[in-house]
Amino acid sequence: MSSTVGIEVMNVFGGMASLDVRELCDHRGLDMPRFENLLMREKTVALPYEDPVTFAVNAARPVVDGLTAEERGRIEMVVTCTESGIDFGKSISTYLHKYLNLSPNCRLFEIKQACYSGAAGLQMAVNFVLSQTSPGAKALVVTTDISRFALADANAIQEWAYSEPSSGAGAVAMLVSDTPHVFQIDAGAYGNHAFEVMDTCRPGPDTEAGDADLSLMAYLDCCAGAFDDYTSRVEGVDFKESFAQLCFHTPFGGMVKGAHRHLMRKLYKTPPAEIAADFDNRLGPSLAYGQRVGNTAGGSVFVALAGTIDTVDLDQPVRIGLFSYGSGCCSEFFSGVISPESRKRLGSMGISAELDKRYRLSIAEYEHLLSGRETVRFGTKDAELNHQVVPGAWPETGHGDRLVLDTVVGYHRNYIWI
Amino acid sequence: MDSNQIAEIIIAEIRETVPELAGQPITAQDSMAELGVDSIERSEVILAAMEKLGLKIPMVQLHGARNIGGLAELLLAKSAG
Repeated sequence: MSSTVGIEVMNVFGGMASLDVRELCDHRGLDMPRFENLLMREKTVALPYEDPVTFAVNAARPVVDGLTAEERGRIEMVVTCTESGIDFGKSISTYLHKYLNLSPNCRLFEIKQACYSGAAGLQMAVNFVLSQTSPGAKALVVTTDISRFALADANAIQEWAYSEPSSGAGAVAMLVSDTPHVFQIDAGAYGNHAFEVMDTCRPGPDTEAGDADLSLMAYLDCCAGAFDDYTSRVEGVDFKESFAQLCFHTPFGGMVKGAHRHLMRKLYKTPPAEIAADFDNRLGPSLAYGQRVGNTAGGSVFVALAGTIDTVDLDQPVRIGLFSYGSGCCSEFFSGVISPESRKRLGSMGISAELDKRYRLSIAEYEHLLSGRETVRFGTKDAELNHQVVPGAWPETGHGDRLVLDTVVGYHRNYIWI
Repeated sequence: MDSNQIAEIIIAEIRETVPELAGQPITAQDSMAELGVDSIERSEVILAAMEKLGLKIPMVQLHGARNIGGLAELLLAKSAG
């Protein structure tokens, strides 16, 4: 039995509008040295007619567009990974299935475990392919998350503090198969660490709550614990030597820096200057897209992977170590190999150029969106979207390849291509 | 070792981690957040104190202290347990 498996095609979609995070911090009166520690530049802000479905479809469409009809017909499972679901019963995968014109002979479902959802979805797809129950089958895994900062009042803004500039939106689509041109998974090489903790959560349809200190502690505990489990399953692993690059779940860059420092101190007692150089070298590239879209939750570790593939010097295959953490909590350290072929394939998606095309919101426009008047709340029965809510953000010309929300009729969301 | 000595260890680690606080008095009644120690730095102070005490427990067990003295009490309880 072949154990060749991984990501065949991959794309990141960072939405239609962005906000300069430095401007936001200035506006909120947040302390600048602290802001620098976030290692953030921009964040994606979801427009009212962008929801987890449009993000997911817009990420996945270029992925399936590159397939032949026969290949598309082999997509036998669509897993949506999200903590931004729009219905308790009906999965976002059903909408993806419709707007991507996939075969009716297909498993559709959605999974949740905070920011760990994407790694969970990927591993389910990987195991589906490895099981050979349907030889040659492909699985489409799509992470899609938007932050929920509508319903703003002065107290809420106070409470968000540094989570407001770091919370973003984005989707990652990954076609998983036995021809992993973009990222070949090291099958069987993984480690988990999980325990129950109330660090951050989404207790209501449009609310987020959390304790930043507790979340950071759980993240650090998991990072060490998951890597420890990985070493117990894989012979001869060395955190410093085995991985040319690392990609961690990135709520903001500063947190990744803290986790990396923790591991390097714990495992090797490395001096600070050497730790800093290793961070720049092995984790710097992974921040390329995260610092432009903000925390994308379930997709964050794969946004990091895309950044590494697109920006690292790559003249031969190299091994990457990935760490995913989701509040609540569950985590995983796993690994795989990228090659110059990965760069070529992922490069064809033009992720960076697409991010450049986002409309840059003014603070006034952002504040208007935050007021939540235009937001389609969870459980909305009927709605008609105002596509001119931020006139400059609506594209004057389109190619019919960008999906937006148009109406909600009897809870059913209707989308249009623009 | 009592909690006062542990508080001294914590304060020494704060001074090491956040050199900008030099000259500012720090007591067990202060909270790290109010002193301007950010969340990443707070975790580093706690990790360093754990290392000094030879304490190997999940960090989440040290969550919830209101100030440096409270953290020292927690560390003492975990060291004894």
